[in-house]
Amino acid sequence: MVTLGHFLLLAGVLMAIGLYGVMTRRNLIAVLMSVEILLNAAALAFVSVAAYRDPQIFAGQIFALFIIVVAAAELSIGFAILLNVYRTHGVAENDAISEMRG
Amino acid sequence: MSLTAFYVLAAFIIVFAVFAVTTANMVRAAFSLAITFFLIAGLYLMLGSPALAAIQFMVNASAIPIMTLFIIMMTQSRSTPAPRVWEMVLGLVAAAGALVFFRQAVVHGDGRISPMGADLLGQGLLRSALLPFEIASVLLLLAMVGAIVLARREDG
Repeated sequence: MVTLGHFLLLAGVLMAIGLYGVMTRRNLIAVLMSVEILLNAAALAFVSVAAYRDPQIFAGQIFALFIIVVAAAELSIGFAILLNVYRTHGVAENDAISEMRG
Repeated sequence: MSLTAFYVLAAFIIVFAVFAVTTANMVRAAFSLAITFFLIAGLYLMLGSPALAAIQFMVNASAIPIMTLFIIMMTQSRSTPAPRVWEMVLGLVAAAGALVFFRQAVVHGDGRISPMGADLLGQGLLRSALLPFEIASVLLLLAMVGAIVLARREDG
């Protein structure tokens, strides 16, 4: 029998994987993809808690829906900024945008 | 809802997610990310919310990988450089910290889920969450216009 703990643990593992990706990836597209994994882990946690603990109020599923919406908006804006980084620097890597470093 | 199906789905999700954050080939990373999100849609089906599974399949498993592939094509970034050693150590420490943090937050319950169909979700969305729904639509419009303005060529 699958319990809530299984789903929450899987969401935690996905969160750890996404965090590792955000820390280690050097291409900005890959960083945004790791952020997508983080957001999906959060949505999975919301949906599982809503399904197990929340029979009447379905705020968890609504939250997951809005997480998907915000993720889409964030990704489109992020890609537009990244395209500008590529136009001005020639590469889309985070080492390229280190002019502010002293 | 069987334990075997959950373990199979979870194992494939973890494998494809790890591949998506570690492979140097960006196109493979994008495709394995799409597979990860597709399998998460299967988890949503297991949790009794087919509407959310359909949205996950349409948005996260189809639209976002296509957009990612377009950006990979436009920025000519077929591969990403390998992470430096200190970055890898930092990432592993952060991942381990996150695992410890989430492990102590995990609660176990009984295996009884309350499925929620698309009709209930839609009614709840338009009844008790109407204002966030409208704000989300405005946010999507702003993101679309903002992305067009940001990505437009200056001399165009």
